[in-house]
Amino acid sequence: MSDAAPTASTNVSARDGNVGAAVRKVIFYLTIAFMCLMLVLPVIAFFFNAFAFRWFYPQFIPKEWSLQAWERLDLIPPEGERTLANFIALWLEVPDAVSALWLSLSIGAVVTGISILIGLPAARALGLYRFRGKRIVEFMIITPTIVPPIAFSLGLNINFIRWDLALADAGIPLDLAGSVVGVAIVHLVPVMPYVVLTLSGVFANYNADFEAQARSLGAGPIRIFFDVTFPAILPGLFVAGLFAFLVSWSQYLLTFLIGQGRVITLPMLLFSAAGSGNNAVIAVLSLIFIAPAVLILLVASRYLSGDSSAVGGFGRV
Amino acid sequence: MQTMKRMAGVLAVAAATAFGTHAVADDLPGFGSWDEVVEQAHGQTVFWYMWGGSDNINGFVDNFYGKPLMEEYGITLERVPLADTVDAVNQVISEQEAGATGDKGTIDLIWINGENFFTLRQADLLYGPWAEGVPNSALVDWANPAINLDFGRPVEGYESPWSSAQFHFVYDSARLNEGDLPRSYAELGDWIAANPGRFSYIAPGPGAFVGTRFVKQLFFEVSGGHAQWVGPFNEELYNKWAPEVWKMLIAWKPNLWREGETYPASNAELRDLFANGEVEFDFTQSPSGPASNIESGLVPPTSRAFAFDANLIGDFNYVAIPFNAPNKAAALVTANLILRPDRQAAQVQPANGFCCGWAIDVARVSDAGQQAAVAEAMQNLGDAAADPARLAAALVADIAAEYQSRIEADWQAHVLRGEPLPN
Repeated sequence: MSDAAPTASTNVSARDGNVGAAVRKVIFYLTIAFMCLMLVLPVIAFFFNAFAFRWFYPQFIPKEWSLQAWERLDLIPPEGERTLANFIALWLEVPDAVSALWLSLSIGAVVTGISILIGLPAARALGLYRFRGKRIVEFMIITPTIVPPIAFSLGLNINFIRWDLALADAGIPLDLAGSVVGVAIVHLVPVMPYVVLTLSGVFANYNADFEAQARSLGAGPIRIFFDVTFPAILPGLFVAGLFAFLVSWSQYLLTFLIGQGRVITLPMLLFSAAGSGNNAVIAVLSLIFIAPAVLILLVASRYLSGDSSAVGGFGRV
Repeated sequence: MQTMKRMAGVLAVAAATAFGTHAVADDLPGFGSWDEVVEQAHGQTVFWYMWGGSDNINGFVDNFYGKPLMEEYGITLERVPLADTVDAVNQVISEQEAGATGDKGTIDLIWINGENFFTLRQADLLYGPWAEGVPNSALVDWANPAINLDFGRPVEGYESPWSSAQFHFVYDSARLNEGDLPRSYAELGDWIAANPGRFSYIAPGPGAFVGTRFVKQLFFEVSGGHAQWVGPFNEELYNKWAPEVWKMLIAWKPNLWREGETYPASNAELRDLFANGEVEFDFTQSPSGPASNIESGLVPPTSRAFAFDANLIGDFNYVAIPFNAPNKAAALVTANLILRPDRQAAQVQPANGFCCGWAIDVARVSDAGQQAAVAEAMQNLGDAAADPARLAAALVADIAAEYQSRIEADWQAHVLRGEPLPN
């Protein structure tokens, strides 16, 4: 604005241009502010609901506040008994919401790790090489995002039960159906497309000649991976891992069907609470549900910006 | 410690048999006696699949069943929360398809009634008959058609009652006078005409049986009585009265909330409309009325229940054991505990957070201590409850399940979408 002042008095069209720029700036910031508001408002609503009591129309802001939803979820002791000892006793019993949070985090972490181990070689092949039937392979990898989960999970559940019975007959007491292991395996189905898609985009922009160079300088395959490949694809790995975690984190139907209702992750609690329409309890669970996701996004945000090499799809698709 | 537990177990058996001694070996397939059941149940875990949408009910189950099961019987209760009971039904069907028979299933007990019970029963996927074999079933009035028929289908010992519910209404005593309340559908129609935009009802449809029930009861009133509807589905009777009912509901439409273009889809939606003052009446199924919703701050503290003079459907809900339940003994002990008078007395009191009413016939309770618990519970229904005498006077049983799907389909066609009525 400072350099606009001298020209403004002499050049009308330039002044119009500057006014236009200012207006554009205002619109730009308004748009940003509006977008932030749209993103933040629902979260603010969660905060209000989580602590509001008897929040009925026409109250704009709740008149009464209460921790009853937190009490109902056994996260804090009832009023009048909120001593440190009671808090510790309550949490030592591990409230359902806490064990569900822990289970969701564990499954998410394991699924993320495995999906990257499987997805990395596949993505490298798809990103770097052209081969017969590549299109078909790409299509096969995306299919889980197209086919609704209900279509394959009911059948998968029956097969898991069959395998469990066969394993039990063979003297191996491994349960896939109704177990955390089975749920983690089935989460891989919707997770893999995101991981492979993200990582093959990274490899499409990756120059494998660097590896040849390192090899010519005498580096072994392990050294090449950790000193050359890994640093180059790290941002992409981060984003792929983030997708993997968030997709696993938000699974309801697959967890329910394969977990047979016994593997109680956070979405399981959230869905069953949503049926009751107790907004306070739903809001508390929702806050617990979004907190890790928001934290991870904040940590990973620098890898998510537009100029990062992390996001690129299959490359030339 | 082990002997202590066993002692407690034996005492519990003695206590249980004191209320009913007619447990016959034949009544519990696979078990020689009730003692054998209790002995086998010791150390088992019962996986109880139930709708988990209410943290009040979840808490009640954990506190009032989980604790005594562990302390008195050495049984661990694992409550598995469901968003919809049909999910448990599908699970049992999947297990059967996969060949998980015998005791290789995963579900021990399901909170069930109506269509879900019928589906499993029809596919022969339930263990039984056992319900008249558990000791406390002597307290159940099995001669009552509202108990031995579930949506018009015979129970035949394949499920045991847990609690009862009866449709009635809720109003806000801070907004309406008790004297102005409608006491029949005809009066409700007049009230709606006089108070445009202040009434709505839950859209009848799958998963919204309370809305269907509201319309079903209108059939009874319009046709001049409930008695003719008892028995198997009667197409002729239905076709005779259905157009009358649709005409009446269509006539209400312009004066309904949002002019009847849309209806609340669930109990929770109607309750929120009521709590926010958009409509004047909510529906309830609980003998304590809106008490537990008041406690949770979901409706105004001045909410009160009230009944029509006639045609209010009451029914029972049950627990059933799948054919392949891995812990049948523990499931049987749990079903028996549910019917113990002190547990029944606990479930009707709003302060304990459960939803519903008695499954046992309280007149059959003979033990003095248990009688006291029952009497105390009767006094503790709370200020929000409707007059039990008025509710009892209006009580009718539910009718054949086929009516339900017909009413839902036809209501959506004629009332919601405005398709012309057949002549």
